[in-house]
Amino acid sequence: MSMDIEVLEDSSHHRYVLNMGPQHPSTHGVLRVLLELEGEYAMHLLPVLGYGHRCHEKIAEFKPAKSFMPNTARMDYLGALIYNHGFAQLLEKAVGIEVPERAEYIRVITSELNRIQSHLLWYGAYLLDLGAFTPIMYAFDDREHILDILEDVTGSRLTYCYFRVGGVSKDIDEKFVTKTRAFIDRLRSRYSLYETLVNGNVILENRLNDVGDLNPHTCNRYGITGPLLRGTGVAYDIRRAEPYSIYSQFDFEIPTATKGDCMASFMVRFRELEQSLRIIEQALDGLPEGPVMAAKVPKKLNIPAGDYNSSVESPRGELSFYLVSDGTDVPYRLKVRTPSYSNLSVVPEMCQGMLISDVVSAMGALDLVIPEIDR
Amino acid sequence: MDINKVKKQWQGLTTAIEEVDYAVSGYDYNLSLERDKVRDLAVLMLDEGFYLVGLMAVHVAPAIEMVYQFAYHESRCRVMARTSVDENGEIATISDIFQGANWHEREVRDLHGVVFIDHPYLHPLILAEEDVDLKPLLKAEGKVKNVDAIRRKPPEPAPEPKPKVVPEVKPEATKNQEQS
Amino acid sequence: MEIFNSLLPELIRIVVCAVCGAVIVFGNALVMGYAERKLAGRIMLRPGPMEVGFHGLYQLVVDGLKLMGKQLVIPVNADKPLYMLAPLLAFAPVFVPLLVLPFSEKIQGFDLDIGMLVILAFASINVLAILIGGWSSNNKYSLFGAIRSVAQNVAYEIPMLISLLAIVFMTNTFSLKEIAAAQSPVWFVVIQPLAFLIYIVAMVAETNRAPFDLPEAESELTAGFHTEYSGMSFSLFVLGEYANMFIVCSVATVFFLGGSSGIPLPFFEYTGIVWFLMKVYLLMFFLVWIRWTYPRTRFDQLMNFCWKYLIPFSLVNLLITVVMVKLV
Repeated sequence: MSMDIEVLEDSSHHRYVLNMGPQHPSTHGVLRVLLELEGEYAMHLLPVLGYGHRCHEKIAEFKPAKSFMPNTARMDYLGALIYNHGFAQLLEKAVGIEVPERAEYIRVITSELNRIQSHLLWYGAYLLDLGAFTPIMYAFDDREHILDILEDVTGSRLTYCYFRVGGVSKDIDEKFVTKTRAFIDRLRSRYSLYETLVNGNVILENRLNDVGDLNPHTCNRYGITGPLLRGTGVAYDIRRAEPYSIYSQFDFEIPTATKGDCMASFMVRFRELEQSLRIIEQALDGLPEGPVMAAKVPKKLNIPAGDYNSSVESPRGELSFYLVSDGTDVPYRLKVRTPSYSNLSVVPEMCQGMLISDVVSAMGALDLVIPEIDR
Repeated sequence: MDINKVKKQWQGLTTAIEEVDYAVSGYDYNLSLERDKVRDLAVLMLDEGFYLVGLMAVHVAPAIEMVYQFAYHESRCRVMARTSVDENGEIATISDIFQGANWHEREVRDLHGVVFIDHPYLHPLILAEEDVDLKPLLKAEGKVKNVDAIRRKPPEPAPEPKPKVVPEVKPEATKNQEQS
Repeated sequence: MEIFNSLLPELIRIVVCAVCGAVIVFGNALVMGYAERKLAGRIMLRPGPMEVGFHGLYQLVVDGLKLMGKQLVIPVNADKPLYMLAPLLAFAPVFVPLLVLPFSEKIQGFDLDIGMLVILAFASINVLAILIGGWSSNNKYSLFGAIRSVAQNVAYEIPMLISLLAIVFMTNTFSLKEIAAAQSPVWFVVIQPLAFLIYIVAMVAETNRAPFDLPEAESELTAGFHTEYSGMSFSLFVLGEYANMFIVCSVATVFFLGGSSGIPLPFFEYTGIVWFLMKVYLLMFFLVWIRWTYPRTRFDQLMNFCWKYLIPFSLVNLLITVVMVKLV
């Protein structure tokens, strides 16, 4: 990667290059960013990716599409179930499998729990980036409850492989429902704690306001989606715009903010917790009886020739699986469009001329999950 | 955005516009275009308020196919625009129009070796610098399908909902097998 | 012989004071190290160290042994003499201020006429140590930490000094013992609340503690100026930091909280130290508490806060004090 450094160092003599990452406390994984600094101001940024590249798209071309399900969970370890959901849905669409209603409800409930879990981790880790050590422990305390709930039904705590083509692998029981309801009450009672401890803090406001400004046009140019886009005032959520699964049946809001800075996306994410809880609550209330797997799922899943797309709303934005099939059960090509990839690509433009501290808070607001970027 | 107005503008740029069943394929419009119209289409899409979901390459014969995916915020309108690269494996960049394409194009350069003309910084992104000519997603010799093999078969009205490929398998059996 | 006779008690006094100083520095580091980890744990809903001894009481001893056993890594391109000098420079000067602190009416190493100046002078050597450490590590993060530290400490020494000067004008002395004694009816925190507040803020910034821990801002600069340090050279920085906390809190106690005054105990001339230490550790508890509660400020905001608010306010406070002293 010496080439990159030379490119930067050539430009001016009194600037110098700081190498942030791949091991750095606030890059959240193996991301490397080269900063060309003038004093403490980053005049030029160059993200270097690929340290966690595991060839998922290549692997997909070598095994039956159905067995790719565990790989999806390994891309975004915080939104594994949502990745499961997108991929299962892709194959169901392509082959034309009807998913039982109970399975759809379970998918929604577990996906939303997964989303809350991801947001809670982001909340803690972001504040850790900003130098507040304590909130991450509170967030993890809540998150632990979700992990326990999901562990009971899925068998794992992080990289779930719970959804199957045609449904889910295991039915939920009464205990799951009780525990989930208890969790909803618990999280609601904790909002005031988070708000007093963190959200109104004057230091936090000074760190986040007017940092990392985005506007809808920039978001279009870079393909930014998710809470960052909603922070600029565009109420775009795939769950509402292209209602997949049974999301059209639920009543929930899409939180937005207008300023487009870090504070806006911070508040959007925080308010999304409540909306996810509302969806879970409604889904638990309307949970139908019935099977959780489609009756006839062929063992060899021949996908008719053609191309298929499946988009879902991951905690970080739009996730698209795009599959090109030549008629066999092995995908001819599978492209995973991950939200963080597009979101991160705005960093060189967004962070130009920022202080290092602001670069850290702006990148934290992107809620990066590096394995999902590198795939 | 008025979809009919946009469609009219598409007609000047594309060779074919196909409306696709969203319930099956997950997108709405399939545009085919000549490779020199890619930039014009990108400008049009940006002006109309679309965002670039992503772009990718598929290795087919006779030439690598490029697929650009666009979507729209206010109403459902997901568009796939496809074209093919020229005989040198080159195509014009759209990274000055959609800056987000910058990284996607670098990724395609890494994985398929497609060269984007006038790209500002076509360095390896996903792969390491020494793997610049690895092109891992190119199919092996003899595995490359013709472009027709990956097209949806038009005569069938809708794909059969229950393909009868194998005798019926009990769901429990599948479940056990996958859990093990 | 004459000289020897008059020198001998002084020499013994110096040795005793030095030993006591060392005991305080290490004892304080042990107490604070343990207390900070336990308190941080308490704040964060976790138990803190629990494994070694009863409720992890020996944890710090074990950690100390571990750090002593660790290799001292010196980076290849580091400036070796300066690199080794920096931790010593951070640690050694903290003994001197301890000598002039009046722990009680009778427990005091030396009652110098310029006690306050000695403390401030030696406390600011810490900046030099950080600068040298950050520079000689030959690491960009360390250098950043060092630059930040110098800018921050130089800036915050001004309001600190000015807020203390207001007290000096009221008492007409630099001697810490007399300043403490001057507060017999009313503590100066009541008369000078603004000076006290300014001092507390400046004190947090001077000790490089969160929310003003920019020189070692973990999430930005990995570990700031001590990124490259390991083993004992790292722990000397930590010892120095805890000792500095102790000193600035003692100064606050002497200047604003009445020194060792309190409800009289038997042999109060000596047992006043109980009150003194209680006040000091209360302030240190406060430091720990805010560290684990607030996010970190940004560097330009920190500097603006000092130059635009603290310094003008402390000057106004000084002016008012001078006028009042003249009038009364």
